[in-house]
Amino acid sequence: MRIMVIGAGKVGRTLAEHLSSEEYDVTIIDQNEEILRECEDRLDVMCVHGNGANAKTLIDAGVDHTDILIAATAGDEVNMLVCLMGKRLGAKYAIARIRDPQYNESLTLLQRELGIDMAINPERATAQEISRLLRYPFASNIEPFAKGLVEMVEFRVQSKDRLNGLALKDLASKHPGLPRVLYAAVERSGDVTIPSGDFVLQDGDRVFVAGDVVTVTSFFRYLGRDTLRIKDVMILGGGRISYYLAKLIVPTGIRVTIIEINPAKARKLSEDLPQVNVICGDGTNQELLEQEGLSTTDAFIALCDRDEENLMTGLFAERHGVPKVVVKNNRITYASIIESLGLDSVVSPRHITGATLLRYVRARVNADGAKVEKLYRLLGGAAEALEFEARLTDSYIGIPLKDLTMRKNTLIAVIARRGKVIVPFGNDHIEAGDSVVVIAKERGLRDLNEVISR
Amino acid sequence: MNKRQVIRLLGAILLVEAACMAPSLVVALIYRDPGDAAAMLYSMLIVLAAGLPMRLLAKPKHTDLRAREGFAVVGLSWVLMSLFGALPFVFSGMLPSYVDAFFEAVSGFTTTGSTVVADFDHLPHGCTFWRSFTHWVGGMGVLVLTLAVLPKLTGRTSHLVRAESPGPSLSKIAPKMGDTAKILYRVYAAMSASMFVLLMVFGMSPYDAAIHTFGTAGTGGFSNYGASIAAFHSPAIEVVITVYMLLFGVNLALFYSLFTGSAKDFFRSEELKWYLGMSGGAILICSLCLLPVYGSFSTALRYGAFQVATIVSTTGFATTDFNLWPIAVKAVLLVLMFVGSCAGSTAGGMKVVRVALLFKQGKREIASTFQPRKMQVVRFEGKGVDENMLHRVTLFAFLYVLLVLIGGLLVSLGGQYDLLTNFTAALTCVSNVGPGFGEVVGPVGNFAGFSPFSKLVLSLLMLAGRLELYPILVLFHPSLWHKA
Repeated sequence: MRIMVIGAGKVGRTLAEHLSSEEYDVTIIDQNEEILRECEDRLDVMCVHGNGANAKTLIDAGVDHTDILIAATAGDEVNMLVCLMGKRLGAKYAIARIRDPQYNESLTLLQRELGIDMAINPERATAQEISRLLRYPFASNIEPFAKGLVEMVEFRVQSKDRLNGLALKDLASKHPGLPRVLYAAVERSGDVTIPSGDFVLQDGDRVFVAGDVVTVTSFFRYLGRDTLRIKDVMILGGGRISYYLAKLIVPTGIRVTIIEINPAKARKLSEDLPQVNVICGDGTNQELLEQEGLSTTDAFIALCDRDEENLMTGLFAERHGVPKVVVKNNRITYASIIESLGLDSVVSPRHITGATLLRYVRARVNADGAKVEKLYRLLGGAAEALEFEARLTDSYIGIPLKDLTMRKNTLIAVIARRGKVIVPFGNDHIEAGDSVVVIAKERGLRDLNEVISR
Repeated sequence: MNKRQVIRLLGAILLVEAACMAPSLVVALIYRDPGDAAAMLYSMLIVLAAGLPMRLLAKPKHTDLRAREGFAVVGLSWVLMSLFGALPFVFSGMLPSYVDAFFEAVSGFTTTGSTVVADFDHLPHGCTFWRSFTHWVGGMGVLVLTLAVLPKLTGRTSHLVRAESPGPSLSKIAPKMGDTAKILYRVYAAMSASMFVLLMVFGMSPYDAAIHTFGTAGTGGFSNYGASIAAFHSPAIEVVITVYMLLFGVNLALFYSLFTGSAKDFFRSEELKWYLGMSGGAILICSLCLLPVYGSFSTALRYGAFQVATIVSTTGFATTDFNLWPIAVKAVLLVLMFVGSCAGSTAGGMKVVRVALLFKQGKREIASTFQPRKMQVVRFEGKGVDENMLHRVTLFAFLYVLLVLIGGLLVSLGGQYDLLTNFTAALTCVSNVGPGFGEVVGPVGNFAGFSPFSKLVLSLLMLAGRLELYPILVLFHPSLWHKA
């Protein structure tokens, strides 16, 4: 599989890194030789210097036998142009990063006319993820599967939790009222495990549970985590994510305050979002935050350009007693530090984009087998949750799971069948058309047949 | 330094070396020489015994290699390979002194072809095959081979390949380094096979054909005859070897583009034009100067072309003793010894591309004295060359000459031989050519007479020359060994 990435920015490089580690042949095109040299040093990829919107550069880089072309330069217009040319010059699929809300409105038309097979908007995807976190503030991460039927939720075990100190197999007998969910993965001091029945939960563990939406909600109600409803949100920074986020949550009745330092940007936001309370001022100023009602807000979301500012103001809000704090972080190196400080809800546009594109690429690799419908990376990529659709022709269909061979370090988390969600046991089986969510500690699985077989 | 990963990699390289010894063992068995076979077998077992624990027991925390570790792995692996590669010569009694055997092994792996063997009548077949096989493996690179066989060995591989591949910059053929290595070895093997067949057609025995194919493909120059190619008395064989020596001096990646149908890329290469122009001009000058010596132009061309090809490709085969030739021809050959062949080939020398860049830089420098404000970009292969790259090339040329001078000086400390002998011995070693000037190190002489100290100095020079200085020079830099 040959993949060409145009633009070696943050997203481009992350993507190239993941793709090349999954054995794809990756070519990167960029105009900056310095960055290319660094890529060549760090990654096993081919680097081509030049403008990706130049036909000659594309041809020299071998666009005619490229399977997937990914345009991830800083400019939306350039990305569209690259896709248009790439497709005409022989690339099979073209993906463009398009971020400007203006283009977003006419996206369908643009995609059809320019031959763009997929448009990704990291900011909008990030806003969607944040809006989910606001709906379920008890979770540090939420990911829907099987068209929203199934939810996978991350939370941290606390010392006063009823789960603390119990083995998973004893939970049902000790707490008969506890709704049955699947414990998909646990992270403890940097190590990720797919837990077995003997696993004992401890204070500080980060746990992923999966199940249907109602069960998961009642699970958290049983734990006493469901008391908080988010009504007031304060957003730091008035960038594109903030815009998309406000668009998403204002209609649900949440009151939104956005703090933006740049007067022109603040004015524009206020114009576009009449229901939002836009404050023009320096959001890193603690006095200003307090004045604008930090102590009464339910959620604080730091979306500045600088990770450091997000981190510091996020910590300030946390110490100030804000119940839910979400910070944006774009540099992976900081992720572990931020989590060690107690900020669990960290969103990273770069990783959200990366996961979306990886899913797309893997689904293209085997068009015949059970395709990857969805891919979600848990705990900084240490494990993956994958959703597949079972096909009639696959060998495992109709056979009880206990009679099948499972791949090592994988787990079938949930099966969604005709609107019903099954947390599977040995006697359950998979039927054609089922959505199957698999947890795997290795990367790069592309087919359900790789996970289970007769 | 990520010492565990370095050790693990070195172990893997030793395993590859052990595998490379297997064909020589088979040859020894075919010729039913028990001493010879035992020497190969024991050497193989020792290399395995050293390599396996290194490969299996070293448990690195992470497999990443940074630039300096990459260079260190390359430098260390070549030293280690030569240390172990010398064993068969000692065990078989071919070269009883270990220093001599080490010199011979280094000369083999670095494709220099300078020899300390004086008695060519009683060579054991297996060990002689091994001696030439090191040319074939060393020409393309042992790490490149290791990567082609074990592509998942380490995370970042570009440092390794860049440090081992000749030339100022590395051009990948395929996005994956492992695939690039495989393609290069395939091209290399295909060209070697075609040469082997041709040599057999023109009357060589399979054994001789193999030995001389290895010598030519790696641009090494070891022969199993004291008189080298002259022993065959066959103009046809000389023509075949002349042509193939010149071919193996060309960037192998270019042949790949030729085979895959883009002949345009092949003929558009600026370095190839410089290379062909330089060799063609040298052949013409030498043949004209040799006219009075040989009488007929065809004979002069036959000897002139062979000698130019053997020097420019840094092979070092001989059909005659060029020490007896006019001084003008010798001067041309001496200059060619510095230059060598194209980047990305199996040959040594400073490489045509660097010399071309030096010329262009010199031209620019002169022009800027009377037009100081003129913006001048040095262009190569149709593109502007980065100033950093030009800077590195200039520095490389300086270090190269410095190394020859220091080497010549150190060899002279022993007090043996004359200036011409000592300094051309150093030059021929750094450039991986093989013969030097003067009676001792000339095409019909050998290096046996040097003191053990001089032999070690020359061995280091060969390694430094083959790996383009830095992987060997960093080993002497104290900060490499510091913790980090």
